[in-house]
Amino acid sequence: MNGFLRFGLLLAGLIVVLLLTLAAFQLPIVDSVKLIFDGAFSDKFAWSRSAVKMTPLLLTGLGMVIAWRAGVYNIGGEGQFVLGAIFGAAVGKGLIGANAAAMPGGSLLILVVCAIGGALWAWIAGWLYVRRGVEVVISTILLNFIAIQLLGFAVSGPLQEQKGQVPQTDLLPESLMLARFDRQTDVHLGTVLALVMAVVLTTFLYRTVAGYRLRLVGDNPKVARVNYIDPGRVQLSAMALSGAMCGLAGGVEYLGLVGQLGTTFPQQWGFLGIPVALLGGLNPMLTAGAAFFFGALFAGTENLARFTPAGTTIVYVIQATAVLAYVGLSGLKKARPKPEEETESTPS
Amino acid sequence: MILQYATPVALAATGETIGQKSGVIYIGLEGSMLAGAFFAMLAAQSTGSPWIGLVAGITAGLLLALLFGWFTIRRGIDQVVVGTAINLLALGVTGTIYRTQFGKSGTLLSVAKLPPVFGKIDAVEILLLLSAIGLTWVLQKSSLGLALRATGEYPKAAEAAGFSVARLRFIGVACSGIFAGLAGAYLSLGISGSFAENMTAGRGFVAIAMVTFGRWKPMWVLAAALLIGFAESLQFTLQAAGVQAPYQLLIALPYLVALTVLVVVGRGTVAPAALAEPYVKGD
Amino acid sequence: MTAKSGLHVENIVKRFGSLTALDNVSASFRPGEIHAVLGENGAGKSTLMGILSGFVVPDSGTVMLNGNPVPVGRPFDCKRLGIEMIHQHFTLVSEFTIAENFALSRLPGLLSSSEVSARAEPSLAAATRLGWELEPGRRVSSLSVGAQQRIEILKALGGDAQVIIFDEPTAVLSPDEVEDLFRVLRQLKTDGHVVILIAHKLSEVLSIADHVTVLRRGRWIASAPIAQVDERKLAEWMVGELPPPLAQRKGTELVPGLVGQDLTVLGDRGEAAIKNCCFEIKRGEILGIGGVDGNGQLELAEALVAVRPVSGELSFAGKTVNAEEMRISYVPQDRQHDGLAMGMTIEENLLITGHRKPMLRKGPFLNFRALHQWANELVKRFSVKANSPADRVAGLSGGNQQKVVVSRALDEQPDLLVVVNPTRGLDIRATEYVHSKIQEARDAGAAVALFSTDLDEIYALADRVMFLSRGELIADTGAESLFGAKT
Repeated sequence: MNGFLRFGLLLAGLIVVLLLTLAAFQLPIVDSVKLIFDGAFSDKFAWSRSAVKMTPLLLTGLGMVIAWRAGVYNIGGEGQFVLGAIFGAAVGKGLIGANAAAMPGGSLLILVVCAIGGALWAWIAGWLYVRRGVEVVISTILLNFIAIQLLGFAVSGPLQEQKGQVPQTDLLPESLMLARFDRQTDVHLGTVLALVMAVVLTTFLYRTVAGYRLRLVGDNPKVARVNYIDPGRVQLSAMALSGAMCGLAGGVEYLGLVGQLGTTFPQQWGFLGIPVALLGGLNPMLTAGAAFFFGALFAGTENLARFTPAGTTIVYVIQATAVLAYVGLSGLKKARPKPEEETESTPS
Repeated sequence: MILQYATPVALAATGETIGQKSGVIYIGLEGSMLAGAFFAMLAAQSTGSPWIGLVAGITAGLLLALLFGWFTIRRGIDQVVVGTAINLLALGVTGTIYRTQFGKSGTLLSVAKLPPVFGKIDAVEILLLLSAIGLTWVLQKSSLGLALRATGEYPKAAEAAGFSVARLRFIGVACSGIFAGLAGAYLSLGISGSFAENMTAGRGFVAIAMVTFGRWKPMWVLAAALLIGFAESLQFTLQAAGVQAPYQLLIALPYLVALTVLVVVGRGTVAPAALAEPYVKGD
Repeated sequence: MTAKSGLHVENIVKRFGSLTALDNVSASFRPGEIHAVLGENGAGKSTLMGILSGFVVPDSGTVMLNGNPVPVGRPFDCKRLGIEMIHQHFTLVSEFTIAENFALSRLPGLLSSSEVSARAEPSLAAATRLGWELEPGRRVSSLSVGAQQRIEILKALGGDAQVIIFDEPTAVLSPDEVEDLFRVLRQLKTDGHVVILIAHKLSEVLSIADHVTVLRRGRWIASAPIAQVDERKLAEWMVGELPPPLAQRKGTELVPGLVGQDLTVLGDRGEAAIKNCCFEIKRGEILGIGGVDGNGQLELAEALVAVRPVSGELSFAGKTVNAEEMRISYVPQDRQHDGLAMGMTIEENLLITGHRKPMLRKGPFLNFRALHQWANELVKRFSVKANSPADRVAGLSGGNQQKVVVSRALDEQPDLLVVVNPTRGLDIRATEYVHSKIQEARDAGAAVALFSTDLDEIYALADRVMFLSRGELIADTGAESLFGAKT
């Protein structure tokens, strides 16, 4: 099936689910759809809100695509997102302290460090999976909690604002923030970065030797092994890359939108990347499509919430229903590949 | 105080232990808890009886778990995928109904709370202690427990002994769902006396983590959950006493310990060997 | 004892698609008798046993136990009637204790106390009767494979088993353990059980069985008391006319190739799957390695291509075997598990080896123009029936899937070629083509290890033949070696 057709089917399916959901909650369908549409696309402000919501969804979604494609079911996007941002905030504080905030490339440096932070966090879970056989589900849940507590600690301790009143970091100076296209809207360079990443990841997965190996390991690690590709090593790198993408998402949210970290910084983007990636069929470009749809839906339902009691929570229902329908219909039955046995372990 | 903080997590974790022992890791635990909290509140509010509320909460938690079971056990779809969807579904459905019924700002609802039985201890807390002991017995000494554990370790052996792996796993996941529903109901009816959007705030995931920390033994899991409750209540005690302490690190400690255990011993032999693996009959 | 006592199968027919696994097979298994069912792989033994134990539903025919029909297709009901099967792959929970495993198979239902020690009692009593000492509290995972088999047998004896079916029970045992197992089989016979032994080793059958039934390609060939047969007779029944021993090819000028000395290879469960094997395959030579499945073929093949650790000495032309410095090609036994990525296209499956070819790469990228051309050419050369190399490999027939695996292995001239049952599932023309490619590779100087369970294939292609039996490589000494008889 070509990409165009798949995208069309995906979109049609999602719209059907949207209509059904509105009906299930007894909302006036025509009026609601209009409100949602207006909220997402009516003017440049609406478009910008959609794009701003799409950005973290797309980056974390891409992060999930990398890991899941290699057969590692990373659900620690949230922790990697947060940890990346903490790393970035530490550099931000350092730059401000050293009076280097205006240094060229400062924001790029922060983004790179964010990606490294996320990668490290994911690497722990990857290592536990590949070398210790620990379910990624379990380790990433633990790591998510630790990351969130670390954030709480960081913003009320080492990274707290100068005034020391509120548990949050200092607002970054404009020079370190990602550039905006229009002073009136929030769309920032991070949105472009996310879209570029989707293209980069497509190229990586489908055009490079390393990407091919990654997909091969995810499809059948045994075949990879008998052809001299170490599945564990590939999966470990995939986890690190996946975490880097989620850490980058955290950095983009930090530098592009909020400019400071507080305890309300985690907005579940790390979790929400999972349904986005799944509905995108673990394909980067389709994931971009799904991220845009849900970004627009978030923006649209925010508008819906202004006029009706219903609001953004509808998006979760739509995501959940769509994922269940998708896996239920396509019968995504492939058993998770087991980690390969450790070679140095002595048999009993 | 500690018991009150610990009870919801402990209840959910105890049920999840049974589920995991049968080989199913119910990622949707958070969703079952949230649904339990919401529908318990809804039922208690419209009938005025917290007991009917409890039953409604348990039912909601159970139904979500059975939905999860249908996808993962009957259709063999990955547990992580379905569990994630279940959580989102619960978050979305409870949030949306709540807003459409009670307004978006959430007029502070208050419903009849569970009455205490002895001193400050209420019926659910007593039930928690009893179930941890009871489930230990079930796992160790009953036929059901033996068969459940066999299913989680090596489903083929359970099949060969004449049991249906699917049925045993449904029992396991139902147990997770029932306890999660009860845990959620207790959150809204036993502790806060109201409901707020996403009020479980990750407690379902805490519970899953505690199963690992308690090494899949109900009494240990209970102890692990009490430790979490202790850490959380200590946070407030310290704050009230004006002590400046990095309490976030304190709260993170149990997770860090659990993680360290995994790093050192790995999966080990305690974790059910067939955890999260779909079983295809005759494969 | 009436004529009806014992287990009787009559006119059983079972087809899987176009393949007839059992063609009108009948046999009678009587109490107080060890009855061996003998046959090569694919002869229909497992299908027959599957039907007896209720796992497989026959297309027609009846199974009667003591004059009553056995409920076909309902394993638990068969078990309740007293038909127990000792599988090759044990159904033991390794993290449970011995007693818990016994109890598990005797639970009346779910709603009761497990009473592990009480329910384990009959099995423990059987252990005492058979002279086996057990610690009921010990974990099964700490036991040797032989000891685990005992637990499996005792589990069956804990109920009132009338018929006990042993599926290739000696495959995993040491010689001492085999002796002990035979002692127990005789004991069970004396106790009045129907003992059915699925086997392929002639010497074992001759030394233990009272009666033998031979199947070949799904057909009943013969049934006779053991006194009336000898090894040659049984071998003939099993494989038909025996091929004449090979004339050795004159190999004086052959160049040194693969040499193995005292190779020991561990299987997935940590058992020594290959023990102290010695062999040499010169360049320009095909060594045929025959033997029945499960005697260490997979482990040895994986060790030869350097994807499974091996102890002992393995070298190629004086150097260690490694995929970097020499070209190794491998056609694995199980194409779906070890050979193909079923979620990918034909082209992507060809790439599994192809992605190392410099001509298909441009730096870190794949060179798609060269790739499409290469894949198209391979598909055409090996006549893989597909619309295009972009088709999913999952949509191909088994034979065409095998062609994908074989084509990418024989695409280039290898130094070392290891093939395991390379023509399984191929039609005659494709088989001939693959055979000619293997010979071509040999003639061009490859050292070829050809593992096959198909004797015709081995004798048609190989320059020398050895046999794998219980993890040991033995020389080709005629009929006995075919079935791993004498050691």
